[in-house]
Amino acid sequence: MSQIDKIKAAPTRPVGPDYRSESQKPAATVSADVGIETVTVLPQTPQLIALLSIIRDKATDRGDFIFYSNRIIRLLVEEGLNHLPTTEHTVTTPVGRPYDGLSFQGKICGVSIMRAGEAMEQGLRDCCRSVRIGKILIQRDEETAQPKLFYDKLPEDIADRWVLLLDPMFATGGSAIMAVEVLISRGVPEERILFLNLIASPEGIKNFAAKFPKLRVVTAFVDQGLDEKNYIIPGLGDFGDRYYTR
Amino acid sequence: MSDSIDAGLTDGVPNGTIAKRTHYAPPWADVSIIGIAGSSGSGKSTLSQAIVNKLNLPWVVILSIDSFYKSLDKEASKRAFRNEYDFDSPYAIDFDVLVERLRDLKAGKRAEIPVYSFEKHARLEKTTAIYSPHVLILEGIFALYDPRVLDLLDMKIFCEADADTCLSRRLLRDVRDRGRDIEGIIKQWFAFVKPNFEKYVDPQRKVADIIVPRGVENHVAMSMVGQFIEQKLLEKSIHHRTELTRLELEAKSEPLSDKVFVLEQTSQLRGMNTIIRDIDTSSEDFIFYFDRFTVKLIEQALNNIPFTPTTIITPQGYSYAGLRPQGDVSAVIVLRGGAALETGLKRVIPDCKTGRVLIQSNIRTGEPELHFLVLPKDIGKHEAVLLLDAQMSSGGSALMAVQVLVDHGVKPERIVLATYSAGQLGLHRLTKVFPDITVVVGNMVADVEERWVETRYFRC
Repeated sequence: MSQIDKIKAAPTRPVGPDYRSESQKPAATVSADVGIETVTVLPQTPQLIALLSIIRDKATDRGDFIFYSNRIIRLLVEEGLNHLPTTEHTVTTPVGRPYDGLSFQGKICGVSIMRAGEAMEQGLRDCCRSVRIGKILIQRDEETAQPKLFYDKLPEDIADRWVLLLDPMFATGGSAIMAVEVLISRGVPEERILFLNLIASPEGIKNFAAKFPKLRVVTAFVDQGLDEKNYIIPGLGDFGDRYYTR
Repeated sequence: MSDSIDAGLTDGVPNGTIAKRTHYAPPWADVSIIGIAGSSGSGKSTLSQAIVNKLNLPWVVILSIDSFYKSLDKEASKRAFRNEYDFDSPYAIDFDVLVERLRDLKAGKRAEIPVYSFEKHARLEKTTAIYSPHVLILEGIFALYDPRVLDLLDMKIFCEADADTCLSRRLLRDVRDRGRDIEGIIKQWFAFVKPNFEKYVDPQRKVADIIVPRGVENHVAMSMVGQFIEQKLLEKSIHHRTELTRLELEAKSEPLSDKVFVLEQTSQLRGMNTIIRDIDTSSEDFIFYFDRFTVKLIEQALNNIPFTPTTIITPQGYSYAGLRPQGDVSAVIVLRGGAALETGLKRVIPDCKTGRVLIQSNIRTGEPELHFLVLPKDIGKHEAVLLLDAQMSSGGSALMAVQVLVDHGVKPERIVLATYSAGQLGLHRLTKVFPDITVVVGNMVADVEERWVETRYFRC
């Protein structure tokens, strides 16, 4: 628990490949360091920071927002898939040499938290053709102000699958926690869920890690914190709005 | 090779990297130049054309001295239209520019050749580029006139023909190709052509290595010249291959440059590789996984382009200290293999300006040969150029491709070569010659691996 409290706010430091000297690297604010074993933050490369800068910028139009967020989502999916099991598998290459490779084990499916999570489905499909994708609709209950499950449609054999849970903005983690509870109630073990998101808040990560210590989170960036309206600071605004309607 | 040529070569090496880099001489670095002079209408162009046709190789190129006529001022231009300007005197030719361009070509650089309009009696705005010939045929009545040009020539030919043959050929050509009338042509012949021939053209035969009477009909002379050029091409090829072998030996037993990145072999990457390399994988799967792999490769390559800090404001009004690319990023595809990376490239940068270079290994000798080249015009100004090839084995074609970019004004430190696979040897060779380029490699493989990716990707 003590480890979880140690998350430091996003620092600013020089970013770039190792062969450049510190003075040759431009400075930028990079992800906060979480130091939690189950949380994977994408490498803070200059390219990732540049992509995030575009989608965070309020001046970016919808077309660019969609294109550049998709590029980050693909990176997230690629990283997420690394946590799936594999077995040794040797093949013969076209030049007749053996290649000691790996083959993917286990079935997967995607589950998107509506509606922003659905924006991540394209990136998932770019990497995994014909993947099954379930959907969960969670909205805030007007009376209790708590998240409430309104709808779900999940693959029937989901209990036998690895689940990539999709939601781009990980703020308080309220709806993600509820979505995970739905998955667990359908028989998916916690350790077979991967939660993919673009930007996370330290608060959300803390809440989540306390509740689901075995669930893996893959994020592009852990931001500074939350404001009084529970928006991520600096964040990127309402992802669903910017992707679908604005 | 004379001293002045060596000096030219050194000038061609950009920004002082000469001290630490190993030198690589592409086969066009020391172009052989053959000068063909002779009276107007003596059959110089026909002979040059016949030689080029006979050899039928893209690296034998004709350069006509006519391209180097001086632009005429108003008064001279008026005289020219009255057929009173002396085009057949050596003073009508801009030898300074000619010598400069020939020296550039001798140094393996790209040379912009002026285009002269006989209709307007002026140099046009546009130029034609000559780049990377192994043999250049310089043709014109004064090809053997200027001593500076003579110094650059490897073979000097003087074409000879009867005066009446010359006049009749000139009549036909000037009416057909240069929009003149018969009266004017005859006036020019006696006023300028004939006296100039005696004064300036004919004495050139003294410096010629061979004198060719009867032009193309002279089969003995034709085959002599053809054999000479073939011999020169063979020498260049042998020299180039020896050069590549020398670099190979030098490169062994040294650690890889810190500007060579190999993608981290994560389980996904190995899993994708297993599918891509399995000979039994269907074409559909092969293409899907290869494209997916390429996206990862390009994303990684883009980490090596220059970025600059930028502060942006989010929709909630918070500021974020981020980065943006410093300028344009373009790509150059090394055909045919590199074209397999194009789908992946366009997924990352849909509107990426893309140049293309066709480099093919000679089936018999294994020597890489440059066949075709189109680059974005402003490529020298781009902040980064991604050079894409599917595989790099000996590094010969990569070396040539990088040399081509450098010759077109791209600084080596702005080049990022991305390739699906590479061998240790090829990487050494390349980074030894161009230590400032960055290389991003999908997989390290054995030193020599034949090109199979393009065959799988394009299915032929």
